[in-house]
Amino acid sequence: MSIQPTPHAGDEQAIALLTDLVSTASPSRQEQAAVHCCVEWMRALGLSASVDASGSAVGVLGEGPRQIVLLGHIDTAPGNVPVRRDGDTLYGRGAVDAKGPLAAFVVAAGRLRVLPETQLVVIGAVEEECATSTGARHALTQYRPDACIIGEPSGWDRVTLGYKGRLLLDYTLQRPMTHSAGQERGACEQAVDYWLQVARWAEQFNVGRQGTFATVDPSLRDVRSSSDGLTERVEMTIGLRLPPGLDSSTLEAALSSLASGQASVSLRGYEPSFRADKRSPLVSAFLASIRAAGAKPGLVTKTGTSDMNVVGPIWGCPIVAYGPGDSSLDHTPNEHISLTEYLASIEVLRAVLTRLANTLA
Amino acid sequence: MNCKCPECDADIEVTDVLAGEIIDCPECGVELEVIQVEPLVVELAPEEEEDWGE
Repeated sequence: MSIQPTPHAGDEQAIALLTDLVSTASPSRQEQAAVHCCVEWMRALGLSASVDASGSAVGVLGEGPRQIVLLGHIDTAPGNVPVRRDGDTLYGRGAVDAKGPLAAFVVAAGRLRVLPETQLVVIGAVEEECATSTGARHALTQYRPDACIIGEPSGWDRVTLGYKGRLLLDYTLQRPMTHSAGQERGACEQAVDYWLQVARWAEQFNVGRQGTFATVDPSLRDVRSSSDGLTERVEMTIGLRLPPGLDSSTLEAALSSLASGQASVSLRGYEPSFRADKRSPLVSAFLASIRAAGAKPGLVTKTGTSDMNVVGPIWGCPIVAYGPGDSSLDHTPNEHISLTEYLASIEVLRAVLTRLANTLA
Repeated sequence: MNCKCPECDADIEVTDVLAGEIIDCPECGVELEVIQVEPLVVELAPEEEEDWGE
């Protein structure tokens, strides 16, 4: 269906905010300029805003006892996508993942001003894209929300219920050089053998599993080799997207057993899969608000991983991810967002937060 | 509040539901979304899609 958001007097301001954020580059660990930009906008829209100990932007509106956290992230994948507006479309790194959703949070909170008995906390977290989730982990220590919305692109008329888990594997093999005409397999060949074994292990694990949320999906992220004439060395990074129920010790045992004796395998960045309860007042508020905006709502699970994987299991509150944008454009050189969709998502969020404040009462 | 299940035509009777809430048909077990409370209107709940990315 075509999107027809109700025009709002602050629409140009909302677009200016998003354009400012997208124009301020913020790859992971280099977010500070964008964080300050975000804090300034939060203040301009009536939030009490500051930079927290993790370096994330935080804006607060109202007082408790109920607390709703809107957890977006302000860092982006690396790469410069020139910022430009072409009619309804804004191009730029982070337009979709995830400055669009974060800007929608800030503007929606600013339009609400105050909700009864409710404190809204809007966070532009740092380091979501680099497997440390520093901003989200700091938020874990600061808040105990009654509901949480993660800022990621679901599309304005859909709600994300869950994300696959993730594991990164570093493989290293260093060994004495051999002649390429000899019988022994070189380090690079052994590394390729290991990768193929991981792929085969995943293939066997996936037999009989239906849908991409239920499967293990390995990807070869990086291979580096070197030699000084006496020793040869190869390093390889493999990423695995994980289904529910695969714990780190099972993975470590399986993946280590595939490596030859000379190779070392180390695991990092483990996040288990997480799926939220769709029978929560938060999901109800989204379904009703999207319908009220004239669309048929959708529910979705994602192959990626987000800060929902970090905070969802600990906070244990109703949680979803929501935001404008097409997530197939995440991390691509063609990243762009529809401004009409962005504006529509702001009004959906405003309606959701209003409903939620009444429901949680 | 009551209505018919759009899947099996069973009678559905509920109290204290919210618009947007997902409920089960007591007869066929299908998931239903409450579209409207008074009068009660339900539709088949959205299927969960799978999508790439974050």
